[in-house]
Amino acid sequence: MVASRVGAIVAMAGLAATPAYAEPRVSVMSQWTAGAEGAALNAFGELVIKGGAKWENNSVSGFTTDMMNKLRADIIAGHPPAMSQLKGPEIKAWSAIAPTINLNDLVAEAGYEKMISPDLAKIHKVNGDWVALPLQVYRVNTLYASKKAMDKIGATALPKTWDEFNAMAKKFADEGITPVAHGGLAWTDTVYFEIVLAGMSPSAYKKALMDLDDATLRGPEVLAALTELRQLTKWMSPSNAGQHWSIFVPNLMKGEYGFLMMGGWASGVLKRGHFEEGKDFLCGPAPSNSSKPVFDMNADGLIFWDTKNPDYAAGQKIAAKVAMGQEFNRVFTQINGSIPVRSDIELSDSAYQPCQRDAKANLAGAVDAGQVVMSLGNNMALPNSATAALRDVLTEFVHNSTITPEEAQQRLADAADSVR
Amino acid sequence: MSALNTLTIIPRRKAPASARWLEIFSKAGAYFLLGTGLLYVVGFTLWTTGISLTSSTLLPNYSFVGFQNYSRLLQSRVWRVAYFNLFVYGVAFICAACGIGMLLAVLIDQKIRAENLFRTIFLYPMALSFVVTGTVWGWILNPSIGVQHLVQNLGWTGFRFDWIVDRNMAIYTISIAAVWQASGFAMALFLAGLRSLDADLYKAAQIDGAKPLRMYIRILIPAIWPIVVSVLVILLQLALKTYDLVQAMTAGGPGIATTLPTTVVYDYMFQRGQMGAGSAAAVMLLMSLLIIIAPYVVLQQTRRRGQATNA
Amino acid sequence: MPESRGLRKSGGRFVVYAMLVAFAAFYLTPLAVVFLNSFRSLEEITQTSVLGVPQTFHWENWAQAWGSYCIGGICSGISPYIWNSVAIAVPATILSTLVGALNGYLLSLWRFKGAQIAFGVITFGVFLPAQMKLVPWAITLRALDLSDTVTGLTLIHIVQGMSFTTLFCRNYYVNVPADLIKSAKIDGAGFLQIFRRIVLPLSPPILIVTVIWQFTNIWNEYLYGITFSEGSHRPVTAALMAFSANIAQAREYGIESAAVLLAALPTILVYLFGGRYFLRGLTAGAVK
Repeated sequence: MVASRVGAIVAMAGLAATPAYAEPRVSVMSQWTAGAEGAALNAFGELVIKGGAKWENNSVSGFTTDMMNKLRADIIAGHPPAMSQLKGPEIKAWSAIAPTINLNDLVAEAGYEKMISPDLAKIHKVNGDWVALPLQVYRVNTLYASKKAMDKIGATALPKTWDEFNAMAKKFADEGITPVAHGGLAWTDTVYFEIVLAGMSPSAYKKALMDLDDATLRGPEVLAALTELRQLTKWMSPSNAGQHWSIFVPNLMKGEYGFLMMGGWASGVLKRGHFEEGKDFLCGPAPSNSSKPVFDMNADGLIFWDTKNPDYAAGQKIAAKVAMGQEFNRVFTQINGSIPVRSDIELSDSAYQPCQRDAKANLAGAVDAGQVVMSLGNNMALPNSATAALRDVLTEFVHNSTITPEEAQQRLADAADSVR
Repeated sequence: MSALNTLTIIPRRKAPASARWLEIFSKAGAYFLLGTGLLYVVGFTLWTTGISLTSSTLLPNYSFVGFQNYSRLLQSRVWRVAYFNLFVYGVAFICAACGIGMLLAVLIDQKIRAENLFRTIFLYPMALSFVVTGTVWGWILNPSIGVQHLVQNLGWTGFRFDWIVDRNMAIYTISIAAVWQASGFAMALFLAGLRSLDADLYKAAQIDGAKPLRMYIRILIPAIWPIVVSVLVILLQLALKTYDLVQAMTAGGPGIATTLPTTVVYDYMFQRGQMGAGSAAAVMLLMSLLIIIAPYVVLQQTRRRGQATNA
Repeated sequence: MPESRGLRKSGGRFVVYAMLVAFAAFYLTPLAVVFLNSFRSLEEITQTSVLGVPQTFHWENWAQAWGSYCIGGICSGISPYIWNSVAIAVPATILSTLVGALNGYLLSLWRFKGAQIAFGVITFGVFLPAQMKLVPWAITLRALDLSDTVTGLTLIHIVQGMSFTTLFCRNYYVNVPADLIKSAKIDGAGFLQIFRRIVLPLSPPILIVTVIWQFTNIWNEYLYGITFSEGSHRPVTAALMAFSANIAQAREYGIESAAVLLAALPTILVYLFGGRYFLRGLTAGAVK
């Protein structure tokens, strides 16, 4: 903590005294090497180049952990990148081991803070100082339904509450359609649980999964969520384990599965497979018992490291300004299928899909109602070690039908105890 | 003696000073290289052991916490399940790879045609990376898109092969993929061993009228026992270091049914950002390994001594 | 050459061939899956399944994988990364083999006090899990000022390979007749001379085994390749991950399959052509 504070002060002095002859450039470390994400990052790069800085793309293909290992090795070697992809509570954790720069002045100048959700802002600040900037937002609690399956049971609209969902799922099962599609990886097991809990009680979600409050973890809302999750697992195909969720998209579209609950990024995957919203699938918010919108948030961010290099310092200023700008928000989210961070971006452009617009409206409504929660399964709610402890319990629960919801609740609370 | 005379290479006079310096320098260089290797093994192991006694998280820190990491690990269910999985997987993998390797070696040893082709087919899996192997086998063994799906489509609607999603059987699917990858190598070693045997041994066995199967089991295989042990050692280190295969195939699932100690090490060290706990897990893995190979080493020592005294 | 051992009856030979063909099918299936997928388009795979026969042949998957797929902002496919891998694997293989031969020679034919223990310790190195060595290597490379260089990564492979290569070579050299060495020493030959004139000429079988083993392991290595390489210098294993590892992406299965086969080609070719020598090396006493 102290190190980063001192580092921040020193860096601020350095930024303020940027020599006029510095050649602005930035290096960015991320996982976004290819596909839509790679293209979006390249678009960001072009905007930064237009802003006057050189752009060095240090993307690391592989899982997130591989990228973090590279970051760790670079930090040990003494030369971190100018910016690196980081999100959630990990921003705070990593900012403690290497110095970051302070973006407060730039943020104030752009009037940025009032344009984004306060829950989002909180995550990117450490001790009240901005050290990172958000890039895009995804709604995790999104429900997809196969049009073919819906036609078979004569349904035309997505279920709004959990009771409606259960009724529809039962109809699917009666018709021989597997109600719930699932890949079976541990993080998706966790995502199913959190979507259920968020839909039942966002306030219980916040207390249990973000604050690790013991009473709530052992309380009735969590038990109800686990019970519903147990029902969901009964509606999943027994062959769902260890596979990426997108493996079963063909079957979902063919009508062999009914529902899929996944983050908004699934829309991008479906688009690549030439499936059309409205024709092949329906998309909307996941079931919720609350009358106001609930938004389960997953947001990628970029942390700004103190590289002790005036060129990078100058480049970081430019990149930060770009990232807070309107054009970046538009271009980045159009390519990725995500939602802009800034609330003042209109999604009327045809490059946006209906589900993205729906999610954005959701976000605005949820912010007003105070029902924005951070995704547990996507490492937004808790530091990685805590997430992993809860995830172990949840993934076992999903794949072992002999564990009762009561038992799972007990284990979940005990796991929280061990990491609190 | 005759062999020596053909090696008339060394002039019978004292070498010049420069040559002597070259000798000294090269010998010192060789010791230096050996020393580097030793330093690497000992140094890294000691460093990891040291870190395992600290509360390191994202980066190593040097705040001593005693055996806390070890006790927490031993109490955790995941660690115990991981060791159990390693035992089941390891035994199944080593036995099957050895057995199939031996079988294939014996088959190829039958003076068959297209020996090169068959040998290459059995050996090539070793050339692939574990990530590729795990991914493809993960698809093949998945019940809804792989073998079970295929066979059911062909008509046997009652056919089941869903081990990979079955909590109790998933670990065996890892063994299947690993055996596929490594049994060719075992075969190559066994084949080499069989081929290096004296032709007289075969003739003697045939004269004795032994049936071919018995001949192999009772005589030839015991004759290449040293190679069998070497194969076991190589398979053992493969089993212990298995990580990419599990990650690509089942990601440790369903649940934690295919978690192995190496996945726990990786998980704690890098995903959870708890380097102290991860190092403790790695050290425990190494210690359990020493327990396994110590008997082999002792056996080797006593055999060598036995040979030396008999010579 | 020994006559056909054992099974002479034609019925027996039929069984042998039948079993061999059955096993061959088992071993070839995964390769067939990847090969077939490399010709299928992403749409086709997404519409049907990851396991299947191509409906139309998309040869462009191969062209894209080799030359135009965009990885990390550079749209040149995986071909530059294959050359990177060659630049890392070839020197690392040659040097680690050489070092292993020297170590094996030193440990087996120049009995010094503690040689057995030294051999045991170096061999223990083959068991060290890769994950545990990651951070120590980062610290070491920093101390040697080799962070993020190809030299650094090559050094890692050489040192780590030492354990295997020493194991192979030493177990081979112990079978060199001690008299040969003794008389050479009496004749006044020194360390280097004996190595060059006696040991090295006897070594080709084991050196080939070692080279094949090392090349395969270094080529397929992924963890260190990602962590200690920079952008355009990364090896092909790291580039391959660009096709697959994201949660939010549609995996480009078709191009990925072509890329995987292209990346595996060097090692498969090594086994194809070297397999024969590999076996001869083993026969000559590699792993006794």
